Amino acid sequence: MSDTIDLLEAIGRDASLRHAPAHELQQRLQEAGASGALKAAASSGDASRLAVEFGPKAMYSPQTSQTFHEDEGLGEEEGPPPLPSPDPDSDHAPPQP
Amino acid sequence: MDLPSLPLPEGARRGSLACVGLGMTLGSHLTPLARSHIEQADVVFAGLSDGIVELWLQRMHPDVRSLQPYYAEGKSRLETYREWVGLMMAQVRAGKRVCGVFYGHPGIFAWSPHKAVATARAEGFEAHMEPGVSAEDCLYADLGIDPGRFGCQHYEASQLLLFERRIDPTAYLVLWQVGLVGDRSLTRFQTGPAYRQVLVDLLSRDYPLDHRLIVYRAATLPIEKPRIRRLALRDLPRVPLTAEETVVLPPLRPMQPNLAIRERLAELDRASLLDRNAAEASFGAQAAARPATDPANG
Repeated sequence: MSDTIDLLEAIGRDASLRHAPAHELQQRLQEAGASGALKAAASSGDASRLAVEFGPKAMYSPQTSQTFHEDEGLGEEEGPPPLPSPDPDSDHAPPQP
Repeated sequence: MDLPSLPLPEGARRGSLACVGLGMTLGSHLTPLARSHIEQADVVFAGLSDGIVELWLQRMHPDVRSLQPYYAEGKSRLETYREWVGLMMAQVRAGKRVCGVFYGHPGIFAWSPHKAVATARAEGFEAHMEPGVSAEDCLYADLGIDPGRFGCQHYEASQLLLFERRIDPTAYLVLWQVGLVGDRSLTRFQTGPAYRQVLVDLLSRDYPLDHRLIVYRAATLPIEKPRIRRLALRDLPRVPLTAEETVVLPPLRPMQPNLAIRERLAELDRASLLDRNAAEASFGAQAAARPATDPANG
């Protein structure tokens, strides 16, 4: 049986697979020896079907909050942030006001 | 706090930091340069949203450390973000080449990578951010929106509630993290219909309740399609919504011409036309007055 992560990467990087009709992708996965979980996930478009193979992986969506409460000390009320300082390695200095 | 610059011991290497984006879809969006940063790092930290994508990243480097365990229900996300910066900086200070890998773009709706890069630079380390394909990029492609056509406003949904902002209903309005809108505690990962109703009430000042909006989520795995739902503004509190989903309100009405500015620009056009005509007339008069020159002598 082919490695599912490798097959997912192959699908992701191949234009003929990434947007292939479901039946065509199924055929290619069959030929490649894909796992049952991957074939089921691909035919349904439901990634949760891969839990059969990898187990349920509850993940928090990172960086969901960027607006912090005033008392968190990040100082939203201190006014606009300063202009970014130029990268010392960069030739492109920011425009001067 | 200003840290003194200490001479490095013989043979020691300066640490460095690169924060890179993995893009949104496994296998499709990782740039060659981001992959190179990952492969050349001594240690890789992963701030990703999908366990299978994290497994994929582990194929690229033997020392991938997930940042997921630092989240917890009831724990402030700001504390988590600060811990992430501390983890990355500890390795940088230890002389390691550190790569922070974040889903999408590492600098969009992402406090920690910006903070880590700024901290590293302030301490004299090399630090770099490498862009990635973001959820916003995918949104434009999948929904067929060009932000230049009518303009496009982006807000974190909670920011729209907590601060006085001005909505322009002639532009697109894109709201991020609607699933946890109004969470001031930073400890919850979902709020709920009552919080979204507050958002709808605010938006109803500028949009009718039957205004059609789009709920969008980009594909994470390449076997998925983007999830696109269309519904009326009034129904937003009642639909299930995750933190990964984004709400797009299309323009409500056409842009209104700014007649005063247009007239001012027309005056400038007329003035510059007069200047050009005057310059051409002056040049013609000078040419007519100039004696004929023998071409052989230049």
